Amino acid sequence: MKIGIVGVGTMGRVHADAYRRIGAELVGAYDPNPEKLAEFVSRFTVDPFRSYDELLLRVDLVDVTAPTFAHEELAVRALEAGKDVILEKPLALDAASGRRILAAARASGRRLFVAMVVRFFPQYRRAAELAKSGQLGRVGTVRLKRVLFPPGPGWYRDPERSGGMPVDLMIHDLDYARWVLGDPVRVFARRSPGVEGKVLEHVQAVLGYENGAMALVEGGWAYPPGYFRTALDLAGERGLVEWSSDQPPPLGTLFPKGEPAPEVGLPMAGLEEDPYELELRHALEALERGKPFDVTPEDALAALELALAVRASADSGRVVEVA
Amino acid sequence: MRVGILSFAHLHAEGYVQNLRRISGVEVIGFSDTDPERGRRFSQAYGLRWFWTHEDLLAEHPDAVIVTSENARHRELVELAVRAGAHVLCEKPIATRTEDALAMKAAVEAAGLTFMTAFPMRFSPAVQAARAMVGEGALGRILAVVGVNHSENPKRHRAWFAEKALAGGGATIDHTVHLADLYRWIFGVEVAEVVAEVSNPFDPEVDVDTAGLLLLKLENGVPASIDASWSRPPSYPRWGHLKMEIVGEKATLVLDAFAGHLHVWRRGQERAYEWLGYHPDPNQGMLEAFVSSVRNGTRPPVTWRDGYEALRVVLAAYRSAERHAPVEPGALG
Repeated sequence: MKIGIVGVGTMGRVHADAYRRIGAELVGAYDPNPEKLAEFVSRFTVDPFRSYDELLLRVDLVDVTAPTFAHEELAVRALEAGKDVILEKPLALDAASGRRILAAARASGRRLFVAMVVRFFPQYRRAAELAKSGQLGRVGTVRLKRVLFPPGPGWYRDPERSGGMPVDLMIHDLDYARWVLGDPVRVFARRSPGVEGKVLEHVQAVLGYENGAMALVEGGWAYPPGYFRTALDLAGERGLVEWSSDQPPPLGTLFPKGEPAPEVGLPMAGLEEDPYELELRHALEALERGKPFDVTPEDALAALELALAVRASADSGRVVEVA
Repeated sequence: MRVGILSFAHLHAEGYVQNLRRISGVEVIGFSDTDPERGRRFSQAYGLRWFWTHEDLLAEHPDAVIVTSENARHRELVELAVRAGAHVLCEKPIATRTEDALAMKAAVEAAGLTFMTAFPMRFSPAVQAARAMVGEGALGRILAVVGVNHSENPKRHRAWFAEKALAGGGATIDHTVHLADLYRWIFGVEVAEVVAEVSNPFDPEVDVDTAGLLLLKLENGVPASIDASWSRPPSYPRWGHLKMEIVGEKATLVLDAFAGHLHVWRRGQERAYEWLGYHPDPNQGMLEAFVSSVRNGTRPPVTWRDGYEALRVVLAAYRSAERHAPVEPGALG
């Protein structure tokens, strides 16, 4: 299966690295920025495509790792050209755009995998399995944390182009909360006061469920450079599972403090269990064998709608009914 | 100074006896408890004189008392104590209804006695250092506060904690007051607005809430959460924890008040693995501060008002959970 990547920013590089490690056939890439494209193709020794149309002619599977604002156009064109699509999260900038992508997938008969990578982090997966297999009893409270330093200059910072922090970042944990607890009926969120001239943002959202379960999802671009903390806490009637990135990893590195942080931080995973590898391996296997994806386009759309509800509640100060 | 303990209904009474005995010049004259089983048990366990009625204890003219009854009985015992001329340290939450708290205030003020609300976490060195850092502006502008006060369900130690009439509620009233008080104390502002989810996902045998998630807006505009859930199972290596993260423009504080612990494994016991704390007990500092205010006739470091405002946050949370809308604690009571 010949794979082409469109968009060679951070996520394009992360996916290309993972394809190389799992021995997938990444044949080339396209990006409107010629310098970035040249650097990417020399790094991964793949072909540069001169246009997106050329990419669509040359590959079977399109991996869209372009910025969120470009998702709809790129994904729909690929589907209409009869290609399967791996689409980086979030699905789209808004729910209507997301629905159009899903409709294009249905109309084309091609398959769409939205890369919700947190579902492939081994600790998140293991914890969800504990919850879903009933070993914790009915899950009553869920806490999820994902806070890092603000993104550098670029489209991430611009809510018009990225959807903003809740849509770009909190969507991971909102999707995870849905995976464990299903769809909430109410959402309430509070956002940090703005700081003039800075991208700093911190949001806490409480999700309320019909059966009395509740979740607190914390997300932020708010820490000093270099810090990225995540945590989960699933408490049930019969058991509890906790994990935090503060726990020591199998391999630790003591770099000098105060070094410049990378442009976009990615959490460090286990050594042989890179979640991007697991995610893309799963997607390719499901495509090759015609098996269902572990995370469906409908999941991706529901997570987006939840993120938009969180953003709306943080904006309005009101409880948003989402049932 | 002679101190009596009015009721051993609250778990904390056991620790307070030991804290008081470490303060020089303090004599614990005994405790009153109308439950004969508790009376005999704790009298034996701590070598304490047991008074069957509170009036009997107060007839011994203690200088001060600690009220560690069920939450809903605080008012009755505080009024009795004040009538007997005793200064009062009152367990948290101060009461279960604002009218009871207001009546306690009136009684204490009329008698000119000292009243302190038991908020021990103000005496945690980590909390004090966090407050100092915020006060010095070391974090820059405060962006958000995340608070967690989880524990096991206390009903297996004392059933009344999960009885609405005596406790006023469940996990939410039990835990919310600690963090609500710390936020008021650290930032020097009141809680402007509360939105909460409150329910009972953990214990079908009780008719109170076992989980509460609150999102507050402080008067300074800072959002702050409180997780007040009885979500830890009995096998958790400790009763629970109190954690707080203060996310600031320049730096973030990560506070875990009981972080300092030894890992202890015991053979053949129910809690085979335990986190055994080695930090100073915040209750010790709280009781020393109370004794010192009574001795010197100075204003206690935690007041009636502090207990009252924390209670209003709790009541706002319950009301918000019913209405699914923001509630202002300041408008209650």
